[in-house]
Amino acid sequence: MENKNIKLNDDIVLDHDLLKGPRHLSFDEKRILATRVMKKHGVGGVTLHWVNAISWFLLIFTGTALLSASYLQFAPAWYINMMDGIFGTRGAMLHFHIAVGVFWVTTLLLYGIFGYKNYLLDFVKHDLTIDKDDIRWFPAKAKNLAGKLNHYEMPPQGTYNAGQKAYAVVVAFSTLTLMITGPIMAFHIGSTTIIQWSMMLHFVATMSVFAGVFVHVYMAALFPEERPAFFSMITGKVNELYAYLHHYKWWTEIKNEEHAFFAEELKKDGIDLPALHDCKNIANHQVNSKVYDMNGDEL
Amino acid sequence: MSKYAMVIDMDRCIACHACEVACRSHYDVPVPYYRNWVHDLRPEGVYPDIKKVSYVGLCNHCDDAPCVKACPTGATYKRKDGVVVVDKDLCIGCGLCIEACPYGARYIDPVKEKVDKCDFCIDRVEQGVEPACVATCIASARIFGDIDDPNSKVSQLIANGAQPNVSSKVNVGPNIYYLDSHNHFPVVQAAFPPKVPNMPTPQKMWTKVLRPLFWLAIGGSFLGQLAAFSTQLFKGESDIKE
Repeated sequence: MENKNIKLNDDIVLDHDLLKGPRHLSFDEKRILATRVMKKHGVGGVTLHWVNAISWFLLIFTGTALLSASYLQFAPAWYINMMDGIFGTRGAMLHFHIAVGVFWVTTLLLYGIFGYKNYLLDFVKHDLTIDKDDIRWFPAKAKNLAGKLNHYEMPPQGTYNAGQKAYAVVVAFSTLTLMITGPIMAFHIGSTTIIQWSMMLHFVATMSVFAGVFVHVYMAALFPEERPAFFSMITGKVNELYAYLHHYKWWTEIKNEEHAFFAEELKKDGIDLPALHDCKNIANHQVNSKVYDMNGDEL
Repeated sequence: MSKYAMVIDMDRCIACHACEVACRSHYDVPVPYYRNWVHDLRPEGVYPDIKKVSYVGLCNHCDDAPCVKACPTGATYKRKDGVVVVDKDLCIGCGLCIEACPYGARYIDPVKEKVDKCDFCIDRVEQGVEPACVATCIASARIFGDIDDPNSKVSQLIANGAQPNVSSKVNVGPNIYYLDSHNHFPVVQAAFPPKVPNMPTPQKMWTKVLRPLFWLAIGGSFLGQLAAFSTQLFKGESDIKE
């Protein structure tokens, strides 16, 4: 890489073997990877996540208090009384539930309509589609949790691991169900039979998400290995060590994109960059003394 | 505390439908729904031994009201004075109470899209006026009052043998009593027996199958993460870099 304008940092020793599959890293390699960050979520994704989380929080807390018939009751009586006390009347609580629901549905619709190309399509195709490695992941994870399988022997994962994907699929279907059944009940759309089926589907969708939310929150916020995922929902970024260890396929993909980007840049100067597998080092790239990360964003 | 009830004196009723009209005009009840009705049955028997019976009905404000149990949000509830009312703010128009009501006393208002039914004209009663149907009845065939008061007219009529419309299958403690000395009431009971409260299929599925399953799933996932977190606390955190 002899070019006065462009140089690949060569102080980082990460050989191309890294691209053939995850392997045990040396301490130095880990140290270097841990100091570098990769962009995982865009500002749209981060915003949507927290709007969604806050809406769910408010909707679950009012929704469970609204179900007071004994055959539907989910929360204990004292909780329902407490919520009645907070809102004054249960009618006010229902109006609040509907208002938050309308806000939530509107947000998701805006995301789906205006972010269809930039966010939604990419998310569904890239992050929700389940592949062979994902199917192999479930038994492997069970063995891994039982201490019978080394972390490095796990099937490599994309932006999200198979467990996250499976939950995301459940959440996606439930979200669609709730976006349809909620307005049916709130605005009395259709016959009583339709409203009755909507009620049941509304509960099924909510409980499907609710059943997984403990694991979701625990894994993200408390489980040490996945904790970078929690901070990535604030900063949008994860460190490369985490990406390498937990989302190896995604890490490779980003490395390939990064390589393609710089190959293009170098081509303008008449230099042919060798294929990524033949590159000696994979590192941050410098162009005209500016440093870029793998997304081509200036660091 | 008072507990309101009504006695319908079938001997005095001439089936003029004035009560039905008074109610309809008072509450803007759209045709073909009723908060309060007079159903005329076909004449029965062979001349000269012939009967012409009318079923005068309204919400029975049952003691053990199936509609109150069926209402998911608590929009339908029983007041302390025994009157079963609907909080329109809370009603989502799901119609589960309609399925549950043994007397067909409920309907969905097609304009407001919420459930409506007789509330014993509680706004009038609280101001010391009789319900509209009672006030308008030309024959005083409807008698409204407090059955907790043994001296009230309703209490006395019930003591004299006024009967509620119940069957061996369905008895949810109705508070509308029928007084009859011409054997007309059994005809009404045969034509309009109280219906067994029904729960629609989706609600049955939820109650019998889905709700227990979700309790298991939620409990399992909560206990799972609790176990994992306890282990984590117990072990302490290991350095992820090594």
